This record gives sequence, C-alpha cells and structure tokens, in this order.
Amino acid sequence: MDLTRFKGCAEAYGADRRRWPAHEHGLYDRFARTPEGAAILAEAERTDRFLDALEVAEPDEALAQAIAGVVKPRRRRTLWWQATAFAASAIIGFVLGFAQVHDDGNGDVVTQLLLGPTSVREIGL
Amino acid sequence: MKPAADDALDQELMAAVARQDGRAYARLVERHLGWSLRFVERMVGARADAEDLVQTAFLRVWQGAARWEPQAKFSTWLYRVLHNLCMDHFRARGAPTEALDEALPDGAPTSEERVAGTQRAARVRAALAMLPERQRAAIVLCYYEERSQAEAATLLGVSEGALESLLARGRAALKKHMPEELN
Repeated sequence: MDLTRFKGCAEAYGADRRRWPAHEHGLYDRFARTPEGAAILAEAERTDRFLDALEVAEPDEALAQAIAGVVKPRRRRTLWWQATAFAASAIIGFVLGFAQVHDDGNGDVVTQLLLGPTSVREIGL
Repeated sequence: MKPAADDALDQELMAAVARQDGRAYARLVERHLGWSLRFVERMVGARADAEDLVQTAFLRVWQGAARWEPQAKFSTWLYRVLHNLCMDHFRARGAPTEALDEALPDGAPTSEERVAGTQRAARVRAALAMLPERQRAAIVLCYYEERSQAEAATLLGVSEGALESLLARGRAALKKHMPEELN
C-alpha cells in the first residue's frame, strides 16, 4: 500500500525529494533506496530530464525598463507649493477687488494700494 | 518558498504603488519580472507573446494597486493575474495545433551540442503546448517554479488531491512525446 502511494507521488512530483509534499518525505526516505523504489524513481527521473531541457532566458534590462517606464507617476505637490499658490491667488484677488471698488479716477489705485498714498505723493505719481 | 520578510516588503511596495510611486513600482517589477516571464513563457511557448503578456500583467498591477487588499501574498495574486492572461491568450488563439516536427527550429547550426539543446527545448515546449491548460499550469508551477502544493492548488482553484492528479496525468501525457533515448 505504501509503495503504491510512493509510486503515485513519483508519477506526480518526479524523482526529486524537494518537489514532494513535506508530509510525504518520510515515505520517500523509506522507499527511495529499495530496489522497487529506485526503479520507480528512475522512471520518474526520465520525465524530469525531459522537462529540464526547457530552459528560459532571464529577462533583459530593456524589458524591465519598458515595463517600469510605461507608467506615469502622479506628480507629487508639496503643501508649501499649494499654500503659496493659494496665498498668491488671494492677494491678487484682493488687490483687483480693492481697485475696482476704490477707483476714483485719481491715479493708479493699484500703485496706491501697494505703496500707500503717502509714498505715491512723495514720488510724484 | 519566499520568506515572510519578502512578502512584507511586497506589501509595502504595493502600498507605495497605490500612491502612484514610480520608484516603488520599478522595484516591484525588478523583484518579480524574472519568475513572471519564466512562468508565462513556459505556459504560452513563445518569448514575444510572453513578454507582451507580462507587460500587460504589470500594467494591471499599476492600475489595480489602489484596490489591492493583501489577503494573499502579492506573488500569489500576480500568479493569478498572469495565469488568467495566459487563459485569455489561449482562448484568443484557440487550441495549439503545432505538430512536434514543426516546432523544431531551422537555421544554421553553430555547434552540434547547441543545436541538440535547442531541439530538445523545442520538443519540450511543443509537448507542453499539447497538454490541457490546467495540466500544463500545474507542471509549470510545481515542477519549474517549485511552488508548494498548497500555493499551486490555491492558484488553480483545486484541492491538493486534484492538483496531484493533474500533475500525474500531465507527466504521463508528456512521456508520449519524449525522445527514444529517454524512453
């Protein structure tokens, strides 16, 4: 009965003990060196040798680069950049709004706002 | 089998890929490209097809990282993606019809040994192509990739007993295509 199971494992997993299920390693060790077991393993090893003829080359660097390069990572925006952009928008909006409300026709309101009325008079604008 | 530390690193990298981190993605590709290509090439037979399918699989990793939940190992999940792509490929192409003799390569030999090796590899490739897909997948996973029975069975969606049956039937079928000197 055990030899039947040994043969079943050899037909499925081959002659190499490492490929057998861990819980069948004891069975392998018990029969591998008996005449019947050795004959079963020799038969399985023929299929192993046939399969071993199919080697596959490792991927080349170009393929790895092509795969890794095809994606477009999202650009990471830092918080300071977002904060600066928001602050600049707020200032510009405030200045333009102020200019519209306070434009009395006496000179450049935006310049007055930025430099102050005193400064505007001092520099003769 | 991979150590648990490698699985943890895969999970970290996938979390970073979910945030669209290109460097983490490149690292993940570097770690898993080799076995992915070996697996797919042995499944579909042709290198060019295998490269296309592997590229598609990694693109799915990138696109699906945000939805990925680490319930299984990353490598098991990627195997499943690759396996499904192979099945789609077979459905699109139809069953393999290539005869063994047609699979043997032509061309000017550079040495007898090299030609003999190339012919043996072509014979194995053709013999594998003749197997039903599940038997082929079982042999590629268990024999070539040396995956555990539990992992291979999970991937194929069968019990470990059914996996053993697939392996035994597949290997028995391969014997019909083995050269005389091995029989």
